[in-house]
Amino acid sequence: MIVSHGFKTICLLLLLLCAQQLMAQAPVKTYTIKNGKMFIALGKDIPAVSLDSFIKKYDLGDLDLQHFIKTNQPDSLHKLGWKVDIDNKEMVVISKPLFSADNLSDPANKIILTQKAANDLLPIANQVHFGVNWFKNKWPFAVEDSVVTFFLKGHNNATVVRVAGSFTNWQEGALPMIKVDSGWIAFVKLPTGKHFYKFIIDNNWTTDKENALTENDGMGNDNSVYFKTNYTFVLNGYTKSKRVFLAGSFNNWKPNDLLMRPSASGWSLPVYLSEGTHTYRFIADGKWFIDPANPDKVPNEFDDFNSVVRMGNPYVFKLDGYTNAKKVELFGSFNNWRENQLLMTKTATGWQLPYTLGPGNYEYRLKIDGRLIADSIGNGNLALVIAPNFTFRLKGFDHAKTVCVSGDLNNWNASSFQMKRLGNEWVFSAHLNKGKHTYKFVVDGKWILDPGNKLWEQNEFSTGNSVLWIDKD
Amino acid sequence: MAAHRHAAIPPQKKIHLTIPTLSADSVSCVIPFSRAGNLILIKAKADTTEGNFILDTGAAGLVLNITYFRNYPASTLVNEEASGMTGTVAGVTRTEVKEFSFGCMKTNVVSADLANLGHLENTKGVRIFGLIGLSVMLQFEMIIDYENNLLYLHRIAKKEMRDYKSTQLKDTAAYGIVPIEVWNGKLITYTYMAGKKLRLIIDSGAESNVLDSRLPTKIFDNVEILRRIQLVGTGEKKVDAIYGNLSNLVIGNQNTGSLPVIITNLEKACMADSYCIDGILGFDFLSLHKIGFNFVNNKMYIWK
Repeated sequence: MIVSHGFKTICLLLLLLCAQQLMAQAPVKTYTIKNGKMFIALGKDIPAVSLDSFIKKYDLGDLDLQHFIKTNQPDSLHKLGWKVDIDNKEMVVISKPLFSADNLSDPANKIILTQKAANDLLPIANQVHFGVNWFKNKWPFAVEDSVVTFFLKGHNNATVVRVAGSFTNWQEGALPMIKVDSGWIAFVKLPTGKHFYKFIIDNNWTTDKENALTENDGMGNDNSVYFKTNYTFVLNGYTKSKRVFLAGSFNNWKPNDLLMRPSASGWSLPVYLSEGTHTYRFIADGKWFIDPANPDKVPNEFDDFNSVVRMGNPYVFKLDGYTNAKKVELFGSFNNWRENQLLMTKTATGWQLPYTLGPGNYEYRLKIDGRLIADSIGNGNLALVIAPNFTFRLKGFDHAKTVCVSGDLNNWNASSFQMKRLGNEWVFSAHLNKGKHTYKFVVDGKWILDPGNKLWEQNEFSTGNSVLWIDKD
Repeated sequence: MAAHRHAAIPPQKKIHLTIPTLSADSVSCVIPFSRAGNLILIKAKADTTEGNFILDTGAAGLVLNITYFRNYPASTLVNEEASGMTGTVAGVTRTEVKEFSFGCMKTNVVSADLANLGHLENTKGVRIFGLIGLSVMLQFEMIIDYENNLLYLHRIAKKEMRDYKSTQLKDTAAYGIVPIEVWNGKLITYTYMAGKKLRLIIDSGAESNVLDSRLPTKIFDNVEILRRIQLVGTGEKKVDAIYGNLSNLVIGNQNTGSLPVIITNLEKACMADSYCIDGILGFDFLSLHKIGFNFVNNKMYIWK
């Protein structure tokens, strides 16, 4: 068997060499599968651009092939399980066996292993922080006050046209559209945020072909997506720039994602922004800068500043006393625990800082003249819940000293969300998004399942986690 | 092309599913389904617990998510030869449901596996009470219409077992017939490619098609490699795999065109008795056309 396997490998390498001879004109770059192994063959003379496009095409970024071609050091490839089969003046051939995924015969495991990659993998996003419309060849629907004019182009021969969406409970409340010269319109009063819709043209359901934004509902249907916007980014001037982009905390700072539109005075982009504090910058022809018209800014990690936009009412962080202190700063999960960014202001009786936060569960700390504030909670984090919609309750445990709730809501921090004693039970009100949540209670340091909830599932420690589903936002 | 040849039945060690006795009465209904991604979700009731189950022809039998069936008495079968209901070789926790129903179908005393499907719920974002596997369907003719999200079910009565056909199958020119069989708790069809006989699982619980990376190189001459991917299982452990388009696969007498496929090592999907499968035909195959199954007569109908 070993001889036969070795013979096969030699044949294969000969084949690859022949292929290289045949393709002497073009640089060798192949990604193939043979005998249960992946093979990558690259000519040593491959131009950097060609290598980059090869890596991108086949998603081979982690191999750092550029470094290997340059230095001939295979150490990092070896660590990833690749073996160098050929390395001569002309070319290099590396291979890696394809290993079997564990337990493929278990149905649940198999379902997960064979599910669609990337975006389709994620459960439907339950919380929308940001959105921008993307209509083809025209501006989004006209909006006056809170009334949106839905428009369907053409279909002049249709008899009955309706618009149905998340805002009409779909078919149940589908709204008739009115025929106009260029198509059909309907006036719909909508709150700001994300909405799904479809047109029903003589009983045939269709997405809006003029709207490039569609989303699968996770149940096999595509719907059109419309954002009722609530904020417009404006940049005056820069009229000689070819392209201006917006990037910010709301789009993970992706630089070439949000193209601004030319306006009479410069550039603009209407967006939907969720409640909370968002930071951003503009990029004109590759150059990053803050919003020159916005005085609200915070320091960033590049010793520069980001512009700030705040949506909703601010929560006022307060600290009583410490009036002799020189500097009090706030940092927490809402600003990625970044220090030297949020400085509190001195008042007559203490310190305060208004900061806008959307619904959610947050943890934070305060630093007074460079020293963390002491408090009774073990890890020093303080809890803040904006818009609580669910109360955890634990009956009994009268003699317990501290009881905390811990789960996906606070990244399983054992001590940050301390429950309060109310009557004969311990309570903690939190904000939970729609969907599944797992949690446990921590009673004087001991982790327990919620005795009042019969739903639990096994965890990696074989001690179980309580399971809770929130059905509505 | 040898693909249209009828496959010879391979030597079988043991079929682990009990073929149910056909009942005297037939029942028909149409069940609308929703989807979790591209998986079929149907409302079903196990005794008093009602919720969404995944229709999974790749599971051998009924699997209950233990989170919602915590108080069911369980017996653990350790190292049962060739797998038990979930196909796992390790210990299997088995229980019994007195009555299992979905649509117009009602079955009394169904053996079921208890498993933690929590990780599956997490990836799909919906409650999943269990999987409806093959053993539940063995008396049925079942037609899946993915385009309209409808499942046509008919429980075949004893008297009609020889020749029952849905009225949808009246026009025999509209579809092709492909032999299927239940083999080691799997729904299997055979085809030939590049001279190699392929044993393929038909699996409504797989969103992608899969091909074994250990197949002869000639097979992969038909694959256009698109990119490397990484498969992530329950344990967060990742393994390399390849995503590509497979051409020239013929099922029955229909060429499937360019079929998206994951190429991975299927060694661990082999049965304990060393019988292996060469691939999985999942949603990307099943949704190409309307598709039907007669589990009593071992036929698959593929509309043209």
